[in-house]
Amino acid sequence: MSFASVIAAASPHLVRVPISTGVASALVAVLMLAHIQFAAFQQGGYIILAVTDFLGWKRNDERQTRFSKHLVTALGATFAFGSTLAIFAVLILFLGLWSQFFVELARIMFWPFVVEGIAFVGEIICLYTLYSQWDKLGRVRPLRAGLELMLFINASIQMLAIDVVASYMLTPRPSNSLALNLLNPTEIPLEMHRFVGNIAFAGAIIALAGGIRIIFAKAPKSRAYADWIGHYGLIYAIGFTLAQPLIGWEYAKEIQLHAYASWYSMMLGGLSVAFLFQVFLLGAIFTVGIFYLWRRVKLGGFRSPALAVCTALSFASWLLIATPSSLAWSYEDVVGANANVPIWQGGLLIPWGEMIPFKLVALITFTGVALVAVTVYLRHVTKGEMRWGDAGRAQGAALITVGIAVSLIMALMGYIREDSRAPFLITNKVLINQQQNFKSPSSAGPAMTGTNNVGIVMPWDSGP
Amino acid sequence: MASPSQPARSALVAKLMRPVARPMAATYRWVDERLGISDLTHQLLYEAVPRRGAWAYSLGSATLIIIVLQIVTGMFLLWTYVPSTTEAWESLNYIEHHDEFAAIVRGMHLWGAYVLLIIIGLHMIRTFVSGSYKKPRELNWIVGVLLFLMVLGLGITGAMLPWDQAAYWTAAVVTHIVDYIPFFGSWLQEILRGGPQMGPETLTRFFAIHIWLLPALLVPLIGLHLILLRRHGEHGSWVNYDGVESETEEVRAERMATAEYPYPAVPSDPGYAVPVDIDDFFPSQVFKDATVSFVLVLLVFIMAVVVGAPLERAANPAALNYVPTPEWFFLPLDQLLVQFPQAWMIPVGVFVLPGIGTTLLILVPFLDRSPEREPWRRPEVMVPALFAALFLIFEALLAVNRLFNL
Repeated sequence: MSFASVIAAASPHLVRVPISTGVASALVAVLMLAHIQFAAFQQGGYIILAVTDFLGWKRNDERQTRFSKHLVTALGATFAFGSTLAIFAVLILFLGLWSQFFVELARIMFWPFVVEGIAFVGEIICLYTLYSQWDKLGRVRPLRAGLELMLFINASIQMLAIDVVASYMLTPRPSNSLALNLLNPTEIPLEMHRFVGNIAFAGAIIALAGGIRIIFAKAPKSRAYADWIGHYGLIYAIGFTLAQPLIGWEYAKEIQLHAYASWYSMMLGGLSVAFLFQVFLLGAIFTVGIFYLWRRVKLGGFRSPALAVCTALSFASWLLIATPSSLAWSYEDVVGANANVPIWQGGLLIPWGEMIPFKLVALITFTGVALVAVTVYLRHVTKGEMRWGDAGRAQGAALITVGIAVSLIMALMGYIREDSRAPFLITNKVLINQQQNFKSPSSAGPAMTGTNNVGIVMPWDSGP
Repeated sequence: MASPSQPARSALVAKLMRPVARPMAATYRWVDERLGISDLTHQLLYEAVPRRGAWAYSLGSATLIIIVLQIVTGMFLLWTYVPSTTEAWESLNYIEHHDEFAAIVRGMHLWGAYVLLIIIGLHMIRTFVSGSYKKPRELNWIVGVLLFLMVLGLGITGAMLPWDQAAYWTAAVVTHIVDYIPFFGSWLQEILRGGPQMGPETLTRFFAIHIWLLPALLVPLIGLHLILLRRHGEHGSWVNYDGVESETEEVRAERMATAEYPYPAVPSDPGYAVPVDIDDFFPSQVFKDATVSFVLVLLVFIMAVVVGAPLERAANPAALNYVPTPEWFFLPLDQLLVQFPQAWMIPVGVFVLPGIGTTLLILVPFLDRSPEREPWRRPEVMVPALFAALFLIFEALLAVNRLFNL
């Protein structure tokens, strides 16, 4: 007897939640998109915390040590809220509304969930020890640095576990083998995408906080600190986002190879408009961020033609990447030119959707330009050419723009990725509409059979 | 405190040893007078080195020890290995199943190569981060990069020698890639293959490159690397030059005047000719070098015994469904090959980009000419280097992902 048959047989006895599939999907989406913002800030923030506090310690930099304390306070507070959302999502929404999906997920991904749970406890211990004993730990700096490192490791393990689950949902291997599904085709690209993205996201949120403080700060000292925070966060935001075009490209390529329907939906289908907005936001982050670097150097009394050129190139790339057309005027023309096959088959169809050379050129330019801009800007900073506190409302507004754009891109990416699997929750395995009406999968998709990976024999694992 | 009977015991030992010790001492004196061993030993061991961060400086010595280990284990393998397409695999198969000692030696040769690449990589990272390539050590950096490239060459040519499936298809892929070099690629491919197709001569040529050509270039370069190191002294890292930027001319002149051999390094940026605090190479640094080297050799031995060296089935050119997987240190290059798959783009992926990267690596001392040593005050090299390092790691991970999900 299959697992689905057991659920179907038991369904008359189950109390159904009186919510439609659409409402359930919307609830889960809102909750998870909110959760992902907090989780990304936590994950990226831990690395920034460890690096900043270490530098403050080794370089006797009071400003970095002070910022570390503020950051750990923010991380402690946001962790409480973010993890509450996650627990609420698992206990109420997934188990209550999408029970089939969650049981199937837990069946094959039992051990990753266990590992994630253990790492979650480790994260709590490290974070709240740092949060509550920060000043006392300041007397034993190696211990504090060690705890920050442990916090980062625990959080990274957690992210790895949840990325295994998330990537499995998009590109499951046609097998119930946990080992095969652990390293499914999109696991490593997703892991890299999130690792880099989380640092950039946390940096952008820090920059946003700096931007707001710049605008509202009254005292020069407070403005100087806010100015420094803004610049510090933005360096992480731009510095790590510049790796995303390459990683994102590879991620999209794996989706194209292993979940073509999802890729088609994202790049050429109903979600392509959302994806276009996504790359528009990416262009905004680079262009506004590099513009800030240029103007910020100028405020210090230094002209930087290199940064001016970088800003111009970034702006041009922004226009290119958001262009919805192709070298050919229509997709039919692309087909006519036999260019509608992937680039590795001699065509022009690249993972980032229809038309392609425009976007490819823009992506390469963004990466190169951002690399040069960050390097040149940091050169000015290390030469002591900055006076913290010079930033005005325009710089504050630029930092806030980058922060909002990164927050939007994070939400949009989640929406696109999750929606691209429709009508599946787990590609080719679990359907969305199975969750509410307990439809037999025989009419909707492949039957869910086979043994679990936990080593426990469950009723649905044995035959009829 | 010595026990009361110890002097008596020592005297007794000396008396018993006298018949042996005297002729030995006389022999040593005779040899020493002719070869100057004492002076040489004194010269080799008497050297000032920076005190802080000394464990990190042991990576260079560890590299040398592992290279020696590779030469020794390679010599042992030559006793059994036959470089012919009909017998190469047979000879190694014999080792794996009938000669336990040789199997361990083969394992040590393989794991020694892996450890060597990791240690050279760490050594280069240490040198780069600490700014040790700055004047007057630019040439030593270039020699170091060339040594690294040669070790990579030894790695890839060594991987072809077993002539099992992995070796055969590695050779096929590598010689096929060479064909994409514009203008003279086909000619070079034919040179390497010993003809238009893969055959017996292909193995012979890679064998010659592995055991003669590359070592013949490697050994003199190692010598040059060491001579240059002794000439300028170990730079150490920025932590050994704390406060040199703010010291007075008098203090600096005093430091230069009282510097121990081989310092002061000239020409040098002001303040960086002599480390602020030094130590003796012997015994202090020698102890650290020996400890690290011993641990690494032990690690190589353990891996050789526990894991050993794999040997796939004998090469079969007809097995077209075989998927060749590169050695781990070539994974980033392998991924680049996939990312630039069209014929006209392959040279960009496998020659132009790596070529630009290698050229920039060689030119680092000439691109970063500021006297600054602290890594976070040298963003013009640290930021691109960090990006390049992340790029290589990402490429390697993506290659693993691709190969696993084929």
